[in-house]
Amino acid sequence: MFTIDSRSRVPIYEQLMKKLQELIIRDVMKEDEQLPSVRALAQQLTINPNTIQKAYRELEREGYIYSIPGKGSFVSPVKNKIDKERMEMLRKELERIVGEILYLGVPKDEVIKLIETMEEPERGESGND
Amino acid sequence: MIKAEHVSKTFGRFEAVKDVQVHVNKGSIYGLLGSNGAGKTTLLKIISGIVKADKGTAQVEGQSIFERPDVKKRILFIPDQPYFFHQTSLLQMASFYEAVYDRWDSERFHQLYEHFSLDPKAKLSRMSKGMQRQASFILTLAAMPDVLVLDEPFDGLDPVVRQQVKNLLIQDVSNRAMTVLVSSHNLREMEDFCDAVGVMHKGRILYERDLEELKTDVSKLQVAFKKMPDDTFLSGMDVMHMEKRGRVLTCIVRGQEGDIDRHVRSYEPAIYDVLPLTLEEIFTYEMGSVGYEIRNLIV
Repeated sequence: MFTIDSRSRVPIYEQLMKKLQELIIRDVMKEDEQLPSVRALAQQLTINPNTIQKAYRELEREGYIYSIPGKGSFVSPVKNKIDKERMEMLRKELERIVGEILYLGVPKDEVIKLIETMEEPERGESGND
Repeated sequence: MIKAEHVSKTFGRFEAVKDVQVHVNKGSIYGLLGSNGAGKTTLLKIISGIVKADKGTAQVEGQSIFERPDVKKRILFIPDQPYFFHQTSLLQMASFYEAVYDRWDSERFHQLYEHFSLDPKAKLSRMSKGMQRQASFILTLAAMPDVLVLDEPFDGLDPVVRQQVKNLLIQDVSNRAMTVLVSSHNLREMEDFCDAVGVMHKGRILYERDLEELKTDVSKLQVAFKKMPDDTFLSGMDVMHMEKRGRVLTCIVRGQEGDIDRHVRSYEPAIYDVLPLTLEEIFTYEMGSVGYEIRNLIV
């Protein structure tokens, strides 16, 4: 399902969280879908189960997943909170990129024109990736 | 689960372990890190009840271990040099283990040696170091320990076997909440494997921490300013290490990422990057701030 880069500087539980967040945000993992169990994942990826537990705990705290004792972890249906955080992150990223473009001497209206040529995706349904 | 309190051990005039405290939770993989001669092996031997501490206590689940065969049945120790009886084969060793450890699982034993394709009838003394180590893992895992104490366990194993052994250990940790205490001076290897670490140097434990906590606690910043800020920029953070190249500052800073972020941004940096640190880097700087010679620690 996913691979972990053991040579990366990013801590393993953060890598796991990011991968799972991506899967949830992009709707690859649907609402109420069950996540792989800690044991299965630990065995599959040869990762310390406590590390996986920690990633799941963090994801639950951030509202991406919920857990039912004795049954496992599932993808949360509530996406509003997630979207807000993600939006904030993307906006900052955009600011940084546009800032750099402007610094490199691209005129502002050209940037605006570029944005205008982009089409808005249709809302709802199963996204567009 | 494993608790060592104020443990000290002296050999002749040499103090190998000085007033050490170690706490390992059940189902945890605890990495004991440190330089050669830091006292790791002695401490592990005390915890597995092979060496008696001069002072202090070592307990597993609240029970002392030394000279307690009933407690020792659940604790297995793999020393840094594999040891087998003279002229024995894997099968002969297995029958010894079976007699000593009442939770011995023969089926598991067969599965394991077939998996590692070791000849169970061959003399262990004729096998290579790596194969002998595989043999000790086979015997140990078949004895179904609750606590596994490993001294430099991956030494001499090729990458494939190494990964397989790690996977087997992780299965036991996640399926039966086995507790692992493992020593190493190879930080890179411990980074993926452990969830808690203790660092030893010259007979003492410098600190023990949750590994991820340790990693999120320290970050490396790269900042550049159009105009250099005043001293409050550095004094407002817990800076462990600082390097300045032209206008670019590289700082190793302790503290919560959010707090650091806010602090740095308030000075309006032109460039600002945060890099997570590797375990090796954390040690280098942490030890540096305690005044230890770092080049000795990282092998």
